Amino acid sequence: MFEGLELLGRGVGHFLTPISIFNVAWATLLGIVIGALPGLTATLGVALLVTLTYKMAPDQAILTLVCMYVGAIYGGSRSAILLNIPGTPASAATTLDGYPLALRGQAGYAMGIATTSSALGTMVGIVCLAIFAPLLAELALDFGSYEFFWLAVFGVVISGQLTATDTPLKGYIAGILGLLAAMVGMEGIHAHQRFTFGIHQLGGGIDIIPAMVGAFGFAEILTVMKNRSAVVIGSSIDRVVPRVADVLKYWRTIIRSGVIGTFVGIIPGVGEDIGAWASYAAARRASREREQFGKGSVEGLTAAETGNSAVVPGALIPALTLAIPGSAPAAVLLAALFIHGVRPGPMIMLENPGFVYEMVGMLLLATIAITVYGLSLTRVLVKVLRIPRERLMPVVFVLCVIGPYAITQRMFDVYVMLFFGIVGFILREMKYPMAPLVLGIILGDLLDTNLRRGLVVSDGDPSPFFTRPISLLLFSVTALTIILSIPAVKNGARRAFHHLLPGRSAG
Amino acid sequence: MESRGMARADLITAAVLIALGVAVVYGSWTMPRLEMRGIHPSSVPGLVPGVLGALLVVCGVLLGARSRGAGPAERSGGSNELWRLGVTTAIGLVYALGLVGWLPFWLATAVFVFVFVVVFEGPLGETKTDLRRSAVVALMLAVITGGAVSYIFQELFLVRLP
Repeated sequence: MFEGLELLGRGVGHFLTPISIFNVAWATLLGIVIGALPGLTATLGVALLVTLTYKMAPDQAILTLVCMYVGAIYGGSRSAILLNIPGTPASAATTLDGYPLALRGQAGYAMGIATTSSALGTMVGIVCLAIFAPLLAELALDFGSYEFFWLAVFGVVISGQLTATDTPLKGYIAGILGLLAAMVGMEGIHAHQRFTFGIHQLGGGIDIIPAMVGAFGFAEILTVMKNRSAVVIGSSIDRVVPRVADVLKYWRTIIRSGVIGTFVGIIPGVGEDIGAWASYAAARRASREREQFGKGSVEGLTAAETGNSAVVPGALIPALTLAIPGSAPAAVLLAALFIHGVRPGPMIMLENPGFVYEMVGMLLLATIAITVYGLSLTRVLVKVLRIPRERLMPVVFVLCVIGPYAITQRMFDVYVMLFFGIVGFILREMKYPMAPLVLGIILGDLLDTNLRRGLVVSDGDPSPFFTRPISLLLFSVTALTIILSIPAVKNGARRAFHHLLPGRSAG
Repeated sequence: MESRGMARADLITAAVLIALGVAVVYGSWTMPRLEMRGIHPSSVPGLVPGVLGALLVVCGVLLGARSRGAGPAERSGGSNELWRLGVTTAIGLVYALGLVGWLPFWLATAVFVFVFVVVFEGPLGETKTDLRRSAVVALMLAVITGGAVSYIFQELFLVRLP
């Protein structure tokens, strides 16, 4: 108990230096700007910043990436409120009540509420991170190949199921394509080169950073340039700093949304957008003013922004303790941790126990920074939204080209970026989610090596995959998720539910 | 309208996925099993890719079955939208695959930024803008971007630019 508090104090204190505060200041501001600009997502921001910070000291580089992540998720609320376009997918639910508030002339008030809600959501998530990450790491020490195999399968399946907007089948296909991409290059058990077709640059596999910059950068540029541009509303900004009473009035919603957001964050590959929608739906069900939701409800805005921000620390819990990212930006952050010599996984609390608490310190500083910027720089950030995309996108594309090149200094990574950009764009246009694809690339090696290692340990007998308690649990949840995504089964289950509980509506 | 177009696209995708899945299964089946090294038969390198390829075939079949009865392909989006998409892709690819490496990086970047801004504020712009003013802004942005990006990566990050 006291050891944990001491480590927490040291983790926070570690970053109370002028250089750290300077890095927090610029990285969070850059994050807010990137998040606010439609077309630039948190994932792209973190991926590009990895390429800009790889020569920094590891603790400072990771600090800037965390600030970028927190800032970008928060920054998305700006365009959601002022343009009715979520700056990042995380702010999609924010548009429902944020934009109507702006139309009523309360854009400043909406941005103030979004700021305090985001800060409080991150705080709830941070508390959960500090409490649950060490516990999960301890639990994961008992995991063997069988459990890690199912964790990887579970991650891809649940991500495919929850992030698909059309049909879960497209989510599963995206996940399988990601896993197949991870099969390219040298495999982890016998060092055999698979699917390299004589291209020696493929020997090391497909690097996650160029793939992410392509799928989230180039693909996004194509989407933005294809669509019509939006018009900023709310030229006059009213009072920004909300009254304490206004914030505390919805304390139940804040805690509920924070917990839901953190939980969604822990689920592999299920990110901030789902956290916001789940929190919004729960708040709507529990609210006494539910008819106001969608028409400018402060409670709805609070739920959406608390929910998406709480996902950030939540997504870092499995990333740090299991090396399985909870969201797409966390996947890039995970890759960056490896680049900077930090080895996330079950051993983290034994090998590097202070790191989890340093992460808490980083998140705390980022939260303070978004609160300060959010309440003070409203007018400046509105001006940022007026930058024409015709002038912004070519600069972003230049960074998408030079960023992946800078890490390895080979043009091959630029080609990888272009390939994933074009394929990612086509898949998006056909409503395939990107999160399972990314998670597949990250988890492919984990799935492959642990399946084969497990089979070798059991001498080819697959039964331990289904009989060990945690394996059985993960297998059951995965199987249930797939079975329930079959339309006929889903409809049958719904009918049975209504038959048993005739008074309940589908709500 | 849109759903019919999507169903058609899904049908084509299903065929591509099935073909890819079959190719992956074939590639995995013919992959060396490293018997010479005496490895455990359960750890052959082609095991997981083979299973994934088979799963892709299954998903492709399900996707095809789901989208059966799709009508003829319909054009989604207006011609201006397609033009904007095509030109963005073309300019981007010419820059990344052609100009970079052929011209000095700062110049390649400046040319790309200038052309991009002028094209999208001029012929493909949504609103009428003063072309001369647009060209001046594009030139300034091009020089600043080319110079700043080259300086930061070459001098500060010590990257040997392409």
